[in-house]
Amino acid sequence: MKYPFPVGRSDFIQGDEAIARAAILAGCRFYAGYPITPASEIFEAMALYMPLVDGVSIQMEDELASMAAIIGASWAGAKAMTATSGPGFSLMQENLGYAIMTETPVVVVDVQRGGPSTGQPTLGAQGDVMQSIWGTHGDHSLIVLTPATVQEAFDMTIRAFNLAEKYRTPVVLLTDAEIAHMRERVYTPNPEDIELVYRKLPANKEEAQYPFGNIHGDMIPPMPIFGKGYRTYVTGLTHDEKGRPKTVDAEVHERLIRRIIDKLEKNKEDIIAYETFDLDDAEIAIISYGIVARSAIRAVKRLREEGIKAGLLKLNTIWPFDFEMIEGIAEQVNRIYVPEMNLGQVYHLVKEGANGKAEVELIPKIGGEIHTPMDIIERVKRGV
Amino acid sequence: MVWVMIMQIRLAGIGGQGVILAGVILGEAAAIEGLNVLQTQDYGSASRGGHSIADIIISKEPIYDLIVTKADVLVALAQLGYDSTKEELKGEGILIIDTDLVKPDREYIGAPFTRLAEENTGLALTVNMVALGYLVAKTGVVKKESVEEAIRRRVPKGTEEVNVKAFRVGYEEGLK
Repeated sequence: MKYPFPVGRSDFIQGDEAIARAAILAGCRFYAGYPITPASEIFEAMALYMPLVDGVSIQMEDELASMAAIIGASWAGAKAMTATSGPGFSLMQENLGYAIMTETPVVVVDVQRGGPSTGQPTLGAQGDVMQSIWGTHGDHSLIVLTPATVQEAFDMTIRAFNLAEKYRTPVVLLTDAEIAHMRERVYTPNPEDIELVYRKLPANKEEAQYPFGNIHGDMIPPMPIFGKGYRTYVTGLTHDEKGRPKTVDAEVHERLIRRIIDKLEKNKEDIIAYETFDLDDAEIAIISYGIVARSAIRAVKRLREEGIKAGLLKLNTIWPFDFEMIEGIAEQVNRIYVPEMNLGQVYHLVKEGANGKAEVELIPKIGGEIHTPMDIIERVKRGV
Repeated sequence: MVWVMIMQIRLAGIGGQGVILAGVILGEAAAIEGLNVLQTQDYGSASRGGHSIADIIISKEPIYDLIVTKADVLVALAQLGYDSTKEELKGEGILIIDTDLVKPDREYIGAPFTRLAEENTGLALTVNMVALGYLVAKTGVVKKESVEEAIRRRVPKGTEEVNVKAFRVGYEEGLK
């Protein structure tokens, strides 16, 4: 297969472009979207590349339809993606819930900008964290990944598809305007060196009767493909193992929703990714994710140079969330700082995880500028 | 110039001068050499006439910074570009200017880049490549060959030769 961009070498590209290329290498062959700053370059790249890899890129009338289209494409057997920013992500929430309820593997990229509403179209932010997790109604779970570099945007896009396929779930790639538009050196592996995951299909007619049943004991039902010989009923209503609506049966509802949540919660170790810097002997922990983690790494290095025992936990997955790990860190350190480009979102998760074992302090920043290392350093020093 | 651990380079001009393309090409050249590199940009919403800034950070180590805060090199192609960002140039940093268009209030090096572009290629809009050539000759931040490869990859098809020519004009000027 010939790819319409260089593979097996490094290139100098924007975050949005990296996401588009990675999606194609991950096997994405259906993209539906509606243009919006700062996510439009993903769409532009998809419009250019998809016809060259026998894929489809389609502009829908809005973000509701974009989300609906990728769900349909996924049930037709394609790996599918859409990308948007805050205002469009709000419109996608209803169908994101539908994807969760119907256990449809899709990847949704939210390139965060300042909000609410149309806000600051060209400036980065981290204000959509809680929306990415809890934006749709009802009890549920899904996976949210947070890249900090263009290379990570590339790598995590591939991972997003693999997790979506493995766990039959929507995955949100939560990036931002800064990563979208900055250029960095990105290594694109040879396609044969990229490990790809494909959804489990029904092995036979018997299995295909239970597209929502825990028939393998792993909580992940095999997913039939439309038009491949099986009758399948897909609905957003509460449904039994066969997919039939059962809207007033408490037991059926509980079994379904608990399985949808547990298939991710019980596989947290596989799903949750993070990195640590100088955390082992740290007395002060900084917990950061996405673009701000870059300044946080810088801050930790400088604090160490000044003899302050700081360490960093960089979250690459923010949902599911490892509350136990945070409690472990809270037992070790005196204080935890959470710098984020909002007025406190992951901060609340960290505070819950810390469980009173350490003080947790927010370092908020809004308006479009990223925390400088000094923003973090000064705040930490004030507390020492 | 001695290669420091991190080189922060800012290109500043006005919209239409190709400042951002020059930044992308410099970044691509660094990437070709296997260096870590980050490029960001800042510009007004006007396609011509507003300020236009390209930041390039090149390092052998991982790069955590996102924008140029203490520029080792500032290239100013217009007075507006210079005025809007001169504070970000380090005291001992190098200021490179288009000597016809920028009147700086500190020590500088430079040449009449726009005039050189017009005289040698007939196109004032190759000023970005002339200035890039001068920058590369003066700083040695990347190799001449890497930039020429990057130009061929990045400029619109059919304009490769005129852009490489402009780059070489600036490079030769920088060696003087």
